[in-house]
Amino acid sequence: MTAVTSPIEMPVSRRRVWGRLYHGETSIDFMGRKRWGLGVSAALIVITLVSLVAQGLNLGLDFKGGVQWEVPAANISRQQARDILTANGVNAVDAKIVTVSASGVDRLRIQVGEQTQEVSKKVIDALGAAAKVPIAEVSSNSVTSSWGSEITKSAIRALVVFIILVALFIAWRFEWRMALSAIAAMVHDVLISVGVYSVLQLDVTPATVIAFLTILGFSLYDTIVVFDKVDENTARFSGARLPYDDVINVSMNQVLMRSLNTSIAAVLPVLSLLVVGAGLLGAIALREFSLALFVGLITGSYSSIFIASPLLATLKSRSPKYVNLRAPHATGADLERLVLGGSPTAKRESARVRATASSARPEGDTTPSSATVRTPPTADALLSHPPRPRKKTRR
Amino acid sequence: MRRKLITSLVSIALLAVGLLSINLALGYRPALGLDLRGGISVTLKPVGTASTASLNLAVERIRERVDSVGVGEPEIVRQQDAIVVNLPGVNDQEKALDLVKVSGKVYLRPVLQCINAPSAATSSSSTVAGSATSTVGSTVAGSTAGGSTVTNSSTSVAASVTGSTVTVGTGSPGPSRVVNGAASTDNGPALSGTATTSAPPTTAPPTTLPASTSDASSTTVASGLSTTVASGSPTTVAGGSSPTAAGATTTVPILVSDPTKTEYLRTRGGEVCQVGRSEGTGEVFEKDSARARILGAGWGVTVNLKTGRAGEGVWNALATQCYNASAACPTRRLAIQLDAEIQSAPSVNAPTFTGSVEITGSFTRKQAENLAQVLNSGALPITLQNVAVEQVSATLGKDSLRAAVISGAIGVALVLLFMMLYYRRLALVVIVGLCISGALVYSVTALISRFYNGVLSLSGVAGLIVSIGVTIDSYVVFFERLKDEVRGGRSLRNSAQRGFKSAFRTILVADAVSLIGAAVLWYLSVGAVRGFAFYLGLSTVMDVFVAYFFTRPAVLLLARSRFMSGKHVLGLDSAGDGAARVAGATS
Repeated sequence: MTAVTSPIEMPVSRRRVWGRLYHGETSIDFMGRKRWGLGVSAALIVITLVSLVAQGLNLGLDFKGGVQWEVPAANISRQQARDILTANGVNAVDAKIVTVSASGVDRLRIQVGEQTQEVSKKVIDALGAAAKVPIAEVSSNSVTSSWGSEITKSAIRALVVFIILVALFIAWRFEWRMALSAIAAMVHDVLISVGVYSVLQLDVTPATVIAFLTILGFSLYDTIVVFDKVDENTARFSGARLPYDDVINVSMNQVLMRSLNTSIAAVLPVLSLLVVGAGLLGAIALREFSLALFVGLITGSYSSIFIASPLLATLKSRSPKYVNLRAPHATGADLERLVLGGSPTAKRESARVRATASSARPEGDTTPSSATVRTPPTADALLSHPPRPRKKTRR
Repeated sequence: MRRKLITSLVSIALLAVGLLSINLALGYRPALGLDLRGGISVTLKPVGTASTASLNLAVERIRERVDSVGVGEPEIVRQQDAIVVNLPGVNDQEKALDLVKVSGKVYLRPVLQCINAPSAATSSSSTVAGSATSTVGSTVAGSTAGGSTVTNSSTSVAASVTGSTVTVGTGSPGPSRVVNGAASTDNGPALSGTATTSAPPTTAPPTTLPASTSDASSTTVASGLSTTVASGSPTTVAGGSSPTAAGATTTVPILVSDPTKTEYLRTRGGEVCQVGRSEGTGEVFEKDSARARILGAGWGVTVNLKTGRAGEGVWNALATQCYNASAACPTRRLAIQLDAEIQSAPSVNAPTFTGSVEITGSFTRKQAENLAQVLNSGALPITLQNVAVEQVSATLGKDSLRAAVISGAIGVALVLLFMMLYYRRLALVVIVGLCISGALVYSVTALISRFYNGVLSLSGVAGLIVSIGVTIDSYVVFFERLKDEVRGGRSLRNSAQRGFKSAFRTILVADAVSLIGAAVLWYLSVGAVRGFAFYLGLSTVMDVFVAYFFTRPAVLLLARSRFMSGKHVLGLDSAGDGAARVAGATS
């Protein structure tokens, strides 16, 4: 949001940043900054790819197979656990033994390769006895490696089908360029979220996968709300021969507050899960889940504005209809005029803006390039047809 | 118009409150998943490929076995070609693994003799065995038209074949008590007591069993019924029955059968029969050829035989043996066994069969369908393999649930606070709307746990918490639209109507995408992801429903009321009119 504070961009502003946001009067030149967004994302993706190649993902038990036991660690040391493993014929050298803290109680988590059920049972009994807890307090989880790879496969298959179906749906409801941009933004989000897990070497569990899937859904949802507005504005400005960049800029300013509000509303519960549930109350399962969600929600909101929309503009500018309209897009006061003019009662708003603009300009300090740049058509002219007479509906 | 809005508002409020109070009154509540209350989860997969029908049968068999030991709220579902068995509250891994050991393999074994438990026979309305006959073609009708009752026919069979078993059944305390014990095993795992009382069998009168001594045989009755016998008299068990039967289970009243030995098995009707070595399997039948249909006076089952030695050859060898009442099959009955339980033991009415076999008797429709299903699964048996076993400790589960609920509540409170700061009085709609969505989702979840055996697991809770964001979004989309319109100078009343129209379009498109995602995940995934997808889909549908039937009328009505007059209630300042603002700025 640093864009908002730049004084050059808001010649007609009298409100502070928050006021303008609150009243939907922003005129941020998103398209002029698209290189920033794409650049940051490209850098993050490169980091992700490098990390994936260099150290990969720390896949949990469910994906690679093996046995894991968890036991309260109060009365049992790591060495004791190792001895139990050795006594039952399990190779203790390769065993991964860590202490995890859940709800203020330390638990010993022991991970080894695949074992027979008999061995697993014996180890549970021995661990329970050594830790002086009933057997019911010992958790265990064993997965054969074939099943692990099958889960992975089925998740990937679900993902591919999901992407194809959603792409078809968006292409049918809007157009294929939007489908392509939305999917690209979604892949971007998942890549970056996976990157966080790879860079920090966090365990990838089924819960994490669920979180990644949620990210897909949320990212798409957010993008579609933006695109719906773009779609609406495309129709509105269709007669005005306006560059597509302008249409996108106008749409994004109009839905900016919605995007911010929704993101806040979605992030708050997740943040609460992360801070209160996983942090203060120490539920491990929640942490695995909410961390991925948190990262994903933020990238999801970011990408619908900085990835999906610029991509769409790039694609669309090359389409036959817009290829001849490649003019520098409107910024500053002109953009604000368009943003406000795009709202339903164009006449009244535009009259106001015109008055504002003419009265604001003589003040001198904020004469931007707008005077020299091509003056865009006024909002009246932008409407392809005069407003319909008001319907006399029954009330 | 106004009346319509009020009707819609009132009916959805009544629906939500009504459903919630019904659920609360009847005590239905969402069943919690394993990860929230502790227990064991086993995932099974067939080795090789398996038909859906045989997997479904396996699910049913596992359910029967789990129900017989009384695990509370088990969840046994087929997900694609895997079977997931969730046993909440079970801590004993060994017990759990025994419960899910089903094969679907059907054995055909000659019946040597049967002891009918009087109490069991009268109490069981179920089968079959005694009066069932199998014949070729039209010869059936005459012999079985009467459809005699289970009790009569099976005691007569027992009496006619093994003279002294009648006295065993009525006079001797030892074996008869065993049989009674067998009957009570249906009710739960508390059979170890009865089994040990019957264990000392030295006083039992001799029976005319062809294969074993009296000691051995009456002990194996006990071992067949409850495997705890092993501790009582291991040597005789080893002599008379399969050693695996004694060793495998401790408290679970389930037989582990060894088809290569003579042993005692229970029928579904409560009889206990001694059966010989298995000389054929269900693979003599053509796959998917068994059908339940009306034959003569009642329901019966027809099934086709495979041609050649593996089919008709094996079957006819068995049938001839039994038809002639030879020493290997003195009762003339042929037992059809699935997972250590005799499903049916029809008498053989013809020495040879060609093409097809009919099994008739006093079946109910359900019994006939069940038998047909058994034969079909036996024709193409599957071997299930445990691919994942997970045990969650109860305290860990409870902690997770508590943390999820507390943090979820805090999250919702924060969101509502934010809404109130931003939308002022309109936030009232959000609060009431969330309550209604919450009541509906809770009710549906509770009903689903009650009637469709679904559970709410941690991933489901997470799905719900995430969906709060999506639900809030539809309000935000609508309200932002509304503010746009008001800012444009329309009346609130007009804005609300126009705003909803365009906002609802957006909501529909966005929710459709969420729903596609949820459906794909639900169909194509296994385990936790499924629970998540289900609750995401559920709350998405609720979102559209509530948006149309609650949010729309509520906002439209509020927009007309005096409660919302003045733009400041929307968070728009009262001087929000364009001209006034410009004037203020330029002055």
